[in-house]
Amino acid sequence: MKRIIGLRGVASALLAVSSVGLFSTTVLGASSSSAASSTFVIGTVNSVQKIDPDVVTNFLDFEALGLIYQTLVQENANLQIVPDLATSWAFSNGNKTLTIQLRQNVKFDDGSTMSSADVVASLNRAEATATADPSASFIGSVTNIAASGPNTVVLTMSHADVSVLEGLATVNMAIMPASAITAGTIATAPDGTGPFQYSAWVPSTSFTMTANPNYWGGKPALSTVELETIPSEQSISSALQAGTIQMGLLSEPTVVSTLKSFSVQKVMDLSYRALQLQDKKGILSNVDARLAIACATNRKQILQDAVFGQGKVVGPVPLGPYATSPVSAICPTQNLKLAKSYLKKAGKPKGFSFTAITSTDLDSTSADQAVAMQSELAKVGITMHISNLASNAYIQDWLKGKFQAAFAENGADPDPYVMYGRYFGAGADLGVPAGYSSKTLQTELLAGDENSTAAGQKADWKALNTTLTSKAVWIWLFDSYDFAVLSPTVKGFTLSPVNTTQLSSLANTSIS
Amino acid sequence: MSFFLAVVRRTLSTLVTLFGVSIIIFVVLRLLPGNAVTAAMGVSEGLLTKAQVAALDRYYGVGQPVIQQYWSWLHSLLQGNLGISLASREPVSTLIGTALPVTLELALFAMVIGIAIGVGFGVWSGLHPGRWQDDIGQGISVIGLAIPTFILGTVLVVFMSTKFHYFPSSLPFVGVFTNPWLNFQQIIFPALVLSLGIGAAILRTTRAAVLEVSNLNFARTALGKGVSRRAFIWRHLFLNALTAVTTMSGIQLGYLLGGTVIIEQIFILPGMGRLLITSIANRDFPVVQSVVLIFAAGFVIVNMLVDLFYTVIDPRTRPR
Repeated sequence: MKRIIGLRGVASALLAVSSVGLFSTTVLGASSSSAASSTFVIGTVNSVQKIDPDVVTNFLDFEALGLIYQTLVQENANLQIVPDLATSWAFSNGNKTLTIQLRQNVKFDDGSTMSSADVVASLNRAEATATADPSASFIGSVTNIAASGPNTVVLTMSHADVSVLEGLATVNMAIMPASAITAGTIATAPDGTGPFQYSAWVPSTSFTMTANPNYWGGKPALSTVELETIPSEQSISSALQAGTIQMGLLSEPTVVSTLKSFSVQKVMDLSYRALQLQDKKGILSNVDARLAIACATNRKQILQDAVFGQGKVVGPVPLGPYATSPVSAICPTQNLKLAKSYLKKAGKPKGFSFTAITSTDLDSTSADQAVAMQSELAKVGITMHISNLASNAYIQDWLKGKFQAAFAENGADPDPYVMYGRYFGAGADLGVPAGYSSKTLQTELLAGDENSTAAGQKADWKALNTTLTSKAVWIWLFDSYDFAVLSPTVKGFTLSPVNTTQLSSLANTSIS
Repeated sequence: MSFFLAVVRRTLSTLVTLFGVSIIIFVVLRLLPGNAVTAAMGVSEGLLTKAQVAALDRYYGVGQPVIQQYWSWLHSLLQGNLGISLASREPVSTLIGTALPVTLELALFAMVIGIAIGVGFGVWSGLHPGRWQDDIGQGISVIGLAIPTFILGTVLVVFMSTKFHYFPSSLPFVGVFTNPWLNFQQIIFPALVLSLGIGAAILRTTRAAVLEVSNLNFARTALGKGVSRRAFIWRHLFLNALTAVTTMSGIQLGYLLGGTVIIEQIFILPGMGRLLITSIANRDFPVVQSVVLIFAAGFVIVNMLVDLFYTVIDPRTRPR
C-alpha cells in the first residue's frame, strides 16, 4: 500500500493543478471584465506589420493606422467620397486642377496644428520614389502640389483625372506633420490627427492605441483599443467565449456559426475573387476557349463550396454605383450548352486542359474555389489542373505572369478606373499579371476617368463591364462577407464595407 | 582534469555543430521563393516602379551577395549583435528577449510535468508487469504518443472556453514576476498538453529500464538482504534506471522546443514559436536565423549537459 503513496501524490497534484485553473474562472472573469471597462480588445488573425502609413499593404496595418491617421477624403458606408480632413474640393481647368479646402483647428498628436504645408509635405512624401508608396500611382497624374494660403491646397494634374480623389482616400495618402517627415520619425512614431493615438506595438502580438483627447470629432469613449493577434479563428472564438476580448474579426462562416450568443455583423468587403487568365500564349489566348470556361463556370456552386454561400456572386465591379449587373454579359449563370458551342468554335470540341495556381496562404478559400470549379469545368471536358503554392512563390509567379490561370483575391474600389487602370490601362503597373491588354479597354478606362458627369461615367463604366465579361478577360466569381463578432456589451460599432477602414466606427463605440 | 577535458571537447563539438547549423539555415532561407520585399509588399510590389523597388531593396538589404550577407551576419553575431528585424525594424535581441522567457517557462513546466508523469507511472508500471497497474501505465503512454498535441490543445481550449468561459492564455501574457497567479494559469494548460507526449515517451523508457534492472542479480540480492521496499525502488531500481531515463528526457527536451511552436499558436502565447512562424511568413531572415540558432543551441547544449550528467550518475562513464 505504502509503495503507491508517492504515485498517488503525483496524480493528486496533477489533478489539483488542473482543477485549480478551472476553479479560478470567477476570479479571472472578474478581473478581465473590470479591465474591459477601459480597454477594448479586438482579436484578429492578422498582425500589424508596419507603422509607416505610406508603405503599408497589410489589411490590419490599414485598419490600425486608419484610426491614428486621417486622409483628405474618405469613403463612407455607401462607398461615396466624403470629406475627412478636407471640407470641400472643386475641379477646374477641364478637370486638370483640384483645389482642396482644409478643415481648421485640427491638431496632430504632437500638439501642432495641421496646415496646408503639412498636406503638401505628406503628399510629396507619398509620391517620392524613395518612399515606395504602393498607392503613389493613384496620384501619378499629379505634377504639382502647392499650398495656396494656410488652409488651401491645389493639385495640378497632367491630364483630366477625377479618380485622383479616390486615390487620396487611402491610408497610403495619410496626412502627417511636416516636422515629423523632416525629422524622419514617421516609421517609428505614428503621429496623426485621428481619434486614437499610438501607444505601443509588440510585433506579431499586439498593437495598442489610446483615445486622442484633442480629436476634432470629440474624444472617443473607449480609452484604449488593443488589436491582439490570435493565430487562429478558432482561438478567437474561444477568447470571445471566455470574455477576454470584446470583438473578433473573422472570415470563416463555420467559426462564426458557433458563436450564437454574440452579436454578428457582416459586410461585403471591397474585394473580389476571380480566376485571372493569361491570354498571351497557349489555349487561353483563344477568346472562345476563355468564353467556354466562363459559360461552364457555376459561380453559385463555387460560392457555396468555398464560403458556404456567405457572400454574393459578382462581376468585375462588385459594389458601389457602378456595380456590374448582370454579373456577366455572356453567361451570367452556368450554360453548359453554350460552353460546348464555344469549345467547338475554339476548335476543341472535346475540351482542353490548363493549370491554375492557388495559394491557400493568401486566401484560405482558394483551393476550395479551385476544386469546385474543376468539377464544373469537367462537365464540358475542360481539365483544370491545380497547383497550390506558398504565398511568396505565388506572388513571384503572379507578378511575372508565370501562370496560365490564377485564383486571386483582389482589392476593389467603387471607382472602376482605380480598380482596373492598374491592370488594363495604358502602361498599367500590373499589366503583366493582368495577362490581357486591348486598345478598347484602355479607351474605355480613360473615357470613364476623364468624364466628370454622373450619367456619362455610368455609361462609360457599363461599357467597360461589358468588354471585360464578353471577352472573358478574367472569370469574376464572388465577393464574400467579413464578420465582426461582438460581445453583447459593445454599443455603437458598425462594421464598414470599406475593407481598409472597417474599424472606423470605433471612434463612436462604447462598452456598457 | 579528465572531466574538464570532456567538457572542453564537448563544448568545441557544440560550437562546430552550431556553425554548421548557421550555414544550413542561412542557405535554406535563401532557397525559399521570395524575399523580405515580396513578403512586405505582396502583390502590391507590382505597383511600384523599378526605382521604388530598388529603394526597398536597399532598405531591406536585399540583393547583396549571399556570402557577404552570411559573413556580415556571422561577424555581428559573434559580437553579440543579432541584427535588426526587417519587418518591424526592432532589434532582434529585443524580440527574442521578449519571446524566449515565455518559451523557456513553458518548456520548463512541460518538462517537469512530463518527467513526473513519465517517471511516476513508468516505475509503477514496471513494478507490476502484466497487472492492472501496468495496463494503466501502458494506456497512458499509448494515448500520450497517439494524440497529436495540436488536437489535444484545440480540444482543451474549446472545452474550457465554451463550458467554463475560461481561456486565460488569451489575456495579454504576463510575466511570472508581474502576476504569478495569472502567469501560472496561462502556462499550466499548454504545459499539460505538451507534457503528455513527453511523459508517454519517458514512461515507456522508465518502465523498460525498471523491468530490466529489477531482474538483475544485484536487485535480487538487495531484496534478499532485507532492504526496505521503498529503498529498493528508489535507491536500487530507480537510480540504476536513471541513465536511460535521463537520455530520453534529454531527447524529449529537444523535441519539446519544436512542440512549443504549435502549442504557442493554439494557446496564443507570445513565445519563440510564434515569433518563428511570423518571421518565416515575413521572410524576416535575421529573426528566423537567430530563433533557429537558439533552438539548435538549446538542443545541442541540453544533450551536452545530459552527456556530462551521465558521468555524475554513472561512475562507469567517467573519463579515466
